Amino acid sequence: MLSLSAIQKSFPGVRALGGVDLDVRGGEVHALVGENGAGKSTMIKIIAGAYQPNAGTIRLAGEVVRWSGPEAAKRAGIHVIYQEFVLFPNLSVAENIMVGNEIRGRFGLIDHKATAAAAARILDRLGVRLDVAAPAGSLSIADQQMVEIAKALVHEVRVLILDEPSAVLSTKEVDLLFGVVRQLRAQGVAVIYVSHRLDEIFALCDRVTILKDGLKVATRAIADTDHDGLVRLMVGRDLAQYFPPKAANPPADGPAALAFRGVSVPGRVRDATLAVRPGEIVGLAGLIGAGRTELALAAFGILPMTGTIEVKGQALRRADAQHLIRAGVGFVTEDRKGQGLFMNLDVARNVTGASLSSYLRGGFVSDKAEQIAAREEIAHFAVACRGPAGAVDSLSGGNQQKILFGRWTRACRTALILDEPTRGVDVGAKSEIYRIMRTLADSGVGILMISSELQEVVGMSDRVVVMREGAISGELTGERITEEDIMKLAAQSGRKAA
Amino acid sequence: MTDADTPPRMRSDLVKSVLARHGVVLFLAGLLLIGGLLQPSFLGAGNLNNMLLQLAPLLLVVVGQTFVILSRGLDLSVASVMATAAVFTTLFSADDSAVVKIITLALLVGMGVGLVNGLLVTKRSVSPFLATLATAIMLQGIRFALTSGAPSGNIPPFFKTIGTGRMAGVPISVVIAIVVAVVFGIILHKMAYGRRLLIVGGNPMAGRLVGINPDRTILWAYVISGGLAALAGLTLAGFAGVVDNNVGRGFELDSIVAAVIGGVALSGGRGTIAGALSGAAILVAVFNLVLLVGAPIQFQIIIKGTVIILAAAFYVRRTIH
Amino acid sequence: MTSLDPPHQTPPQTPRQNTRLKQAFGRNAPLLVVIVLIIAMVIAGALMTDRFLTLRNFTNIVEQSTGLGLVSLGQTFAVLTAGIDLSVGSVMSLASTLASGLIDKDVAQAAWVIPMVLLLCALIGATNGLLIHQLGIHPLIVTLGTGTVLQGLTLLYALSPVGGMPRALEFVAYETVLGVPIGAAIMMLLFLAAAVFLGHTRAGRDIYAFGDDAEAARLVGINRARVLLTVYGFSGLMAGIAGVYLAIRFGVGQPYLGVNYTLSSITPVVVGGTMLSGGRGGVLGTLLGVFLVGVLNNLLNFLQVSTHFQLVAQGAIIIAAVSIYVDTRRSRT
Repeated sequence: MLSLSAIQKSFPGVRALGGVDLDVRGGEVHALVGENGAGKSTMIKIIAGAYQPNAGTIRLAGEVVRWSGPEAAKRAGIHVIYQEFVLFPNLSVAENIMVGNEIRGRFGLIDHKATAAAAARILDRLGVRLDVAAPAGSLSIADQQMVEIAKALVHEVRVLILDEPSAVLSTKEVDLLFGVVRQLRAQGVAVIYVSHRLDEIFALCDRVTILKDGLKVATRAIADTDHDGLVRLMVGRDLAQYFPPKAANPPADGPAALAFRGVSVPGRVRDATLAVRPGEIVGLAGLIGAGRTELALAAFGILPMTGTIEVKGQALRRADAQHLIRAGVGFVTEDRKGQGLFMNLDVARNVTGASLSSYLRGGFVSDKAEQIAAREEIAHFAVACRGPAGAVDSLSGGNQQKILFGRWTRACRTALILDEPTRGVDVGAKSEIYRIMRTLADSGVGILMISSELQEVVGMSDRVVVMREGAISGELTGERITEEDIMKLAAQSGRKAA
Repeated sequence: MTDADTPPRMRSDLVKSVLARHGVVLFLAGLLLIGGLLQPSFLGAGNLNNMLLQLAPLLLVVVGQTFVILSRGLDLSVASVMATAAVFTTLFSADDSAVVKIITLALLVGMGVGLVNGLLVTKRSVSPFLATLATAIMLQGIRFALTSGAPSGNIPPFFKTIGTGRMAGVPISVVIAIVVAVVFGIILHKMAYGRRLLIVGGNPMAGRLVGINPDRTILWAYVISGGLAALAGLTLAGFAGVVDNNVGRGFELDSIVAAVIGGVALSGGRGTIAGALSGAAILVAVFNLVLLVGAPIQFQIIIKGTVIILAAAFYVRRTIH
Repeated sequence: MTSLDPPHQTPPQTPRQNTRLKQAFGRNAPLLVVIVLIIAMVIAGALMTDRFLTLRNFTNIVEQSTGLGLVSLGQTFAVLTAGIDLSVGSVMSLASTLASGLIDKDVAQAAWVIPMVLLLCALIGATNGLLIHQLGIHPLIVTLGTGTVLQGLTLLYALSPVGGMPRALEFVAYETVLGVPIGAAIMMLLFLAAAVFLGHTRAGRDIYAFGDDAEAARLVGINRARVLLTVYGFSGLMAGIAGVYLAIRFGVGQPYLGVNYTLSSITPVVVGGTMLSGGRGGVLGTLLGVFLVGVLNNLLNFLQVSTHFQLVAQGAIIIAAVSIYVDTRRSRT
């Protein structure tokens, strides 16, 4: 149905894809796997017409095609469901589903009633009950995902691409999704399924193509491969080398570096209590939307909360960024560009951002002190950049992340909250960041790592706390830290309900 | 997304950042040079003096406008504040006995308007464009009502001295503008408040997470802008020698234009005082040149509009290269 | 399914029906607020003087509102895409001066001059759209720039009122049908057409989608260039119509006619509930906003307070309106 040959794509200074082939048949579910940075997203965008390849050809049903834009690909029956939703928050569910395909009535005008009814029918087919008149922005993330899938079913799809569709879904919703995907497969649709969750790939897919560093490693039939074999192909080395060894001695008792006591965030988190001891890496696992990031944001005063935050056994008078930073707690956010870096400022000013007052000399910011600090952090974390005066927006994800580590470790030595610390970071930098985290912990910093990558949680955490639907659903230590046990706690009620 | 991580392009960075930071100054120098070649009187003492006198009030406003734009805002109320301050000069006695009262009152009203703007923007999430537009309109209405349409009364000589007098050969208003520019340049580029403003303007969420209070930071930018606009109004009243209700008309847009020409990004968090001041100087120099070469005055306006778009296009091109 | 909904989806205290009601109210709140305000002012006016609630005064208000209504209609389109058109005042000035100067009281000339002038204005607007699209500069700057250039060009053509409009056309401004001046009736028909266009055609829905999220719009294949050209072209056209209309009403075109309209045109849009952040609102709100401003000014005239207070009142309305309709997007972190 869809075949790509020798596709190349470069961005200024970076080769994203270096001649990749992919062949997807009608009526199969084809998994596309690889570490972050392997080239999956670029590949998807090329298939969908959002990027133009620098070289190579795309064939759809045997014919060579060249997309002038996403619209052209869509007209040809290629539909993508991106990880980041493409929804209009102010438009209604029906309008979102039917955008570009509104049903026209008299005088060629849009018939809103018929359009809404058509949207409702598609949702019915998915087995989802939603108010089609509600603005899409008011839906939960899982429901928004369903709207995204519904959008694909408006037209006859020939190729459906799902980019990490299950990341935001509960177990039951995943089952529902699988049902829909299988149904489409039976109708002869070629489905490309991108996922990190290997068990899903084994449950759903027929073949799998593995990408690594912008190249194709292999295409295998699912029946001919197993879990460990797939991981080896993806990572290219054993997992044991990937993660640094865990803490040799379980940390001593004593006051926690950082503790949440009965913290509730209206509508997001219910009565969460958890503690991170000095020198310990605690993984905070759960599905997206479980309230993990919200917990951190509340502590930093971004969301309103009740309950107390304790640092080194002392309850803070107020939960906000100023008090936490003063007490020595830092927060490396998930969204580096949106919530972390100061894109307009240079490396030095980014490094000193959380501890500005220590660079003041008589009311003036000391350039010299800032330069020294930046040089120290650049050397300490081996940041590849032009120096303290270099721009941050031109750095790679891994180097940007190191700069944020530098910022927060300069300001805070008690505890760090790391939200998805290796998202958007290439494989090499990833293992480097893991080493940095372990070194920090060994120096006595308590680390709370929010992560949706199970491998990472299992590989890094001395202890794992799992959240589900806004509450803490369990804790795992030692041998019990396994992907299966984490998933059980993260999606427990779903299994029961099903 | 993950695969499209921004590429490293470090060496060309240096050239670009030099151009980015100092391009506008170079452009100004080139403009003055070419102007001097085209029309020798352009760089004559008399004309330079003339340009500086025109430039001084604009510089004052531009400094404040730059602070507001850096905070991701816009201040459309500066012209109205200027006119109000100018009207104040005529409200009391014609001699210098009320000077202190006038200055205090003007600054208080200017900063008060800034405070209202800032509160609307931060506490009520009103878009800066609308908030400052609304306060500008209201202030204008109040001023018209107070003066029943046309202010009468004379400007105390003190302000005339400020507007047209000289100190060691340099116009006093220019000295004031330069002092203000230097002081606020230091605040912006060397002091903690300036850093906080750049951080909050560039990335408000990141700013909050490193413990900065964004509301307070943004509020001050508007207060500074209001205060400097009042000062500019007093200076301009002295320069013009007569006051009507529209003193300062056009300064709101001119100050924004000057800042944009000077490389201050409307998206916030990026720009320098030196750049913005150069932008203002370019505006004034271009106007002056148009007159000197004998083109009809309408060309001033046409060229201004063209410069706005070209300058903005220049900066956009550069950032997305 | 329900057992799996994340907790924030179904807050226990608020039944779904309730939130839906709130939603519906929230979306139309601006319209209700404006209607209530208009009614309140009409009642106040009626109590104050018996000359207020008369057909003649009604005609008067509608007539006074026509020019503003036409510009604001175009402005609404720009604002719906999260943009703004600051060139409308200059376009009005240009249209009125050019039409008046070229026609010079000759009806025969009007037949071709007016369509050509309007076409020119639409093209000017489309140029704005094109520049915004091609250069990637904020609409505020682009339209400020083109507006300044246009004002300069208008002044090159004429520094003071020039030529004149033929008396034969005055019926557009002063004849009434059922108490409604013909010009105002045309304006309201244009509002109606715009409402149908925005609500019931794909191109109209694309404008909302684009204003809501430009990147998402790109990914669903909405043509950015087409949206921008349509929106700013329409805004230019409406400003041109407003300019020609006012020239007819005053009998002559003026090179500074539109100066005050640039910013005034935004008031009814915002008061009518269209968000500057784009994607929400509509022309019905703008029409109500125009009448609100019209009734208010009329009322202040009757009160015989200085006309300067009209400005104060207008500023107060903007502040009140925009701080009541707080953008819901703000609550998202």
